[in-house]
Amino acid sequence: MCALSMNSIFLLTVELLNFHSLQSDLVNHCCSFPLRQHVRSLVVLCLCCRLRMSAEENPAAEPAPVIDVQGDGRWMSQHNRFVQECKDAEPDVLFVGDSMVQLMQQYEVWRELFSPLHALNFGVGGDTTCNVLWRLQNGELDNIRPRVRKRFFFICSNSFNSICYEVKCVFNAGIAFLFVFPQVVVLWVGTNNHEHTADQVAGGILAIVQLLLSRLPKCKIIVLGLLPRGEFPNPLREKNAAVNNLLRTSLPQLGPVQLIDVGGGFVHSDGTISSRDMFDFLHLTASAYRTISTSLHELLLQLLEETPQERRASLV
Amino acid sequence: YENRVVIAFLYVLILQHNRFVSDSKGKEPDVLFVGDSLVQLLHEFEVWRKLFSPLHALNFGVGGDATQHVLWRLVNGELDHISPKVVVLWVGTNNHGHTPEQICGGIMAIINVIHQKLPHAHTLVLGLLPRGKSPNPLRERNASVNALVQAEVASLSHVSFLDMDPGFILSDGSIAHQDMYDYLHLTPQAYQKVCQPLHERIKSLLDKHAP
Repeated sequence: MCALSMNSIFLLTVELLNFHSLQSDLVNHCCSFPLRQHVRSLVVLCLCCRLRMSAEENPAAEPAPVIDVQGDGRWMSQHNRFVQECKDAEPDVLFVGDSMVQLMQQYEVWRELFSPLHALNFGVGGDTTCNVLWRLQNGELDNIRPRVRKRFFFICSNSFNSICYEVKCVFNAGIAFLFVFPQVVVLWVGTNNHEHTADQVAGGILAIVQLLLSRLPKCKIIVLGLLPRGEFPNPLREKNAAVNNLLRTSLPQLGPVQLIDVGGGFVHSDGTISSRDMFDFLHLTASAYRTISTSLHELLLQLLEETPQERRASLV
Repeated sequence: YENRVVIAFLYVLILQHNRFVSDSKGKEPDVLFVGDSLVQLLHEFEVWRKLFSPLHALNFGVGGDATQHVLWRLVNGELDHISPKVVVLWVGTNNHGHTPEQICGGIMAIINVIHQKLPHAHTLVLGLLPRGKSPNPLRERNASVNALVQAEVASLSHVSFLDMDPGFILSDGSIAHQDMYDYLHLTPQAYQKVCQPLHERIKSLLDKHAP
């Protein structure tokens, strides 16, 4: 009964609002900020009910920090650093996930392809979907500030027109403003969820995407597919492939989200993975990162190019 | 379901070991690096190609390994079929739950196995690095291990100890993420800092070893 009515509310809401039009100028015009948040929350709530992603049913969607058992508190230190890092940064791209994300920053390819895109790297080795969910809910998205573009300033306020070029502040209500969050989030997590089934892992990833969409409303999301692992065919390869298959159809239903599978080509015709691609049959070598980065980089360029038009708010 | 995951894990570890064993056949390394992820990751950065490949080095590092894992690997084939002149051993930081005395004992056990299997090789033991963003018990533990190992190998002619810390701990007691991106593993820049003296030491050991 409850599920049925939630479904109806969901469908009605989607019809009325059309998820993408939440970002339209018309809605920005008509709704004051608090109302927009309520409407957005309603849609996300309906999505949660529809897709049955409540934390009670899915342990992989339950936010959880890593408890320090080793004795040097490194996980919390990394989380705190990320919370601090996003205070003054103005990333266009935010990478978030596990060691697959974290290690990327240590190779030359990061400096060449992703730093120029103003990318932040919030990867932590060993993280599961639960850990990433916790980090994003506990500060790593909090301080990313809105940014006002120079061009806009000239149009709207004479008193500023010769002074401020990169002003980082928020305009008060009554004057139209332009929000620039990270335009794209790249999410790569799930291969460390050893205690969860493929269904649960996919649900955990969906929960993270839902959180991102609700907190960063103008954002596009790229979810990277889980890579095959292990030198020979093994159950974890099947599990990761199953996660990817589940995500392939369910992700685009949530909004401007897509799954990119970069794992093709790692498994050779004899079923093996080479240590030249994954030095420990899990983590990528520099050359393997280069291979997957070219298509990811091109997609990012494309998505970043698309957004300026959408982001211009109409003036009051 | 969990059993399958555990079996898959063990399978992967055994495969990695097998790869090292087969790697050691047919190659004639002068230098063998053995240890945990600090050794393994070294192989993935430019510094390996520049400083250690020219010395004909093999890398048998496995992430997560503690002393007992390295000991098992060396006893079970990874030292067979090769005769390096220098073995570089870097392990101990993953021995969670062990006392400094136990970790030192584990390192000494590895040194003994190396000496048994490769009587003409010189073992270079690398000191454990500090870890964690701020002062913590593991830093003290690692420092104690270093002191104990340094004392034990002082009387052995086929072993020497090298302190690998170029001063990672800053004046406020913190470690910078520019040196250790997760306050444990080294960035490429940090590897450059620690590997220069290591490279010099290995070269001088190889020169001494030469007939």
